[in-house]
Amino acid sequence: MIEAPTVFQRRIVIGAGVCVAAFMLVGIRLVDVTLMRSAGTDAAAGPAMAARADLTDRNGELLARDLPVKDIYARPHEFWDKAQAAKDLAAATGADERRLLEGFNNSKHPYVLVARRITPDAEARVMHLGLPGLEFEPASKRYYPDGRIAAQVMGVTDPDNNGVSGLEMGLQDRLRDAADGGAVATSIDARVQYILTHEVAEARKTFSAHAAGGIVMDVKTGEVIAMTSQPDFDPNQRKLEDGDSTRNIMAQDVYELGSVFKIFSFTLAFEDHTLKSLDEVFPIGQGYKIGKYTIHEAEHMPATLMARDILAQSSNIGTTQIALRSGGARQREFLTSLGLLSPLKTMLPETARPLFPGANWGMIETATVSFGHGISVSPLSFLTAAATVVNGGRRITPTFIRQPPGTDNRGAQVIKPETSEQMRDLLRYVVTNGTGRKADIPGYDVGGKTGSAQVPGPNGRYLAHALRTSFFAVFPVHNPRYVVFVLMDQPHGTKETGGFALAAYTAVPAAAHVVARIAPLLGVPNVPPPAKLADGRP
Amino acid sequence: MVRALNLFCVALMGLTILGLYHVSEKARVAHMELNKTHRQIVAEKGAIAVLQTEWQHVANSDRVQQLAATHGMNDAASAQLSSFDQMPRRSDDTPLNGSPVHNVNAEIPATPQAQTGFQD
Repeated sequence: MIEAPTVFQRRIVIGAGVCVAAFMLVGIRLVDVTLMRSAGTDAAAGPAMAARADLTDRNGELLARDLPVKDIYARPHEFWDKAQAAKDLAAATGADERRLLEGFNNSKHPYVLVARRITPDAEARVMHLGLPGLEFEPASKRYYPDGRIAAQVMGVTDPDNNGVSGLEMGLQDRLRDAADGGAVATSIDARVQYILTHEVAEARKTFSAHAAGGIVMDVKTGEVIAMTSQPDFDPNQRKLEDGDSTRNIMAQDVYELGSVFKIFSFTLAFEDHTLKSLDEVFPIGQGYKIGKYTIHEAEHMPATLMARDILAQSSNIGTTQIALRSGGARQREFLTSLGLLSPLKTMLPETARPLFPGANWGMIETATVSFGHGISVSPLSFLTAAATVVNGGRRITPTFIRQPPGTDNRGAQVIKPETSEQMRDLLRYVVTNGTGRKADIPGYDVGGKTGSAQVPGPNGRYLAHALRTSFFAVFPVHNPRYVVFVLMDQPHGTKETGGFALAAYTAVPAAAHVVARIAPLLGVPNVPPPAKLADGRP
Repeated sequence: MVRALNLFCVALMGLTILGLYHVSEKARVAHMELNKTHRQIVAEKGAIAVLQTEWQHVANSDRVQQLAATHGMNDAASAQLSSFDQMPRRSDDTPLNGSPVHNVNAEIPATPQAQTGFQD
């Protein structure tokens, strides 16, 4: 039989219980201090500055970064002399003195925003004033160290750090996910971007063109290595200067590109075997009648031309005859397969809807489309399709994100590999024997095609003496790695060009300078071209 | 015996409380130091970020090109450029003296290229 505990025993048990409880509290506190707190401290140890990750080029060079800045707010009721405070703060920060004074005298608002995103220098000037009632709110400012060089393709952010154009908008989610010390590596090569921008800007200045642009793209990965649009703007300034433009004409504008489109007409002819051989002779004459319309040449041409010279000398009449052999329906189907008749979707938010004949795709439309008139596409869309022609015939999609070395992003086969090889030979022939001679760079076998299109005016009629010139280049042509496209909108001839403003005088030299400067940087080998072309010709 | 045990427990508890206070105080001070260091790290990282950006700005291609032009430097012709894997090695059989270094396919035209009639 168990005896009931005495009072003394109960007190011992209660005392022991209190001791156990006390030790448990001590233990819990120890665990809290040693484990929990340290974990919390580690979590807070990372930098919490950037709302958006850095944008870098493919080699890790900085293209855009959030820099720490401050927003200044004032509590006006703490100022002894509001007018003097407004004057001093305006002088220190560049804010509008009148706005500040109105805000300080408005008793409805206890806080007044003095200035946003002030630099450390301005912050030091404000601190030096010794004014009471100022609050400095940490913020960040997007800064672009290269300034105008890649302005349109990089884009800009709004005051709340949201991307509003270019890759800043297109890569918004990636930039947010990689914030706080991370970086998003773009496909852009800052060195190539500078060279392209420099050469295109120089050419625009030399030929007094309204606008100009250029793109360099990898034909196997679809990586856009460089893209420029002139006029440009300074992304570090909120205001545009006279003549500046934020428009990326290479992605968001559509143009009738003219004779560079003959590339697709010849590709279609090879695909459909409508050309007996490149030696087949076509009558050229003074004009080619289709119903009530007559196709003319831009320049004087011989009475007859072989097929290869039709492309080399850029004959509209010859190309028309070749295109009509395939017909309008097939031409439309082929251009659709190259993605030229639908908007191109890339990481850039800027895109453009192509313009083409629609349901009325008859003989005359087939003829004009064959030499790049009556159809308008964006330069980026054109270059993507042309890259498909020369890269072995497989579709690619432009990307602005760096791809791992050795990546091959080529997709579905839309053109036969042998057609692609024939076209590369033909494009080389254009450079060695045709309108692209100025692009024949020693040491690099460049292929290409010129285009000099007429420019439609506001009333739909073509403007007299106004041209839109372009040049598509591929190098090395027998083992393609890169394609280059240079566009000039309404260039003017100079004394050196004898007054001519055709692509051979304007766009070709600019593209040639670009290729000559970027090929060594991109590691393109200096290899001799094959002794014989694909068709056996030397 | 029980009373002695109780006294021991109470004394142990008192000592533990004092020890815990000491540890807690040290942890608080260390935490303050940590926060201070953290703020310094953030400030230093911010300063480094600013310096990196400034370096990128002053060393960008546009500025280097302008400096090169100021000092009379020109771009090298593509035919003047080669890669390391095309350079002859000491162990190669081909003697260097009087022999071509490698099969150079590039030729710089001596005169400006002739204009053609093909201009489109």
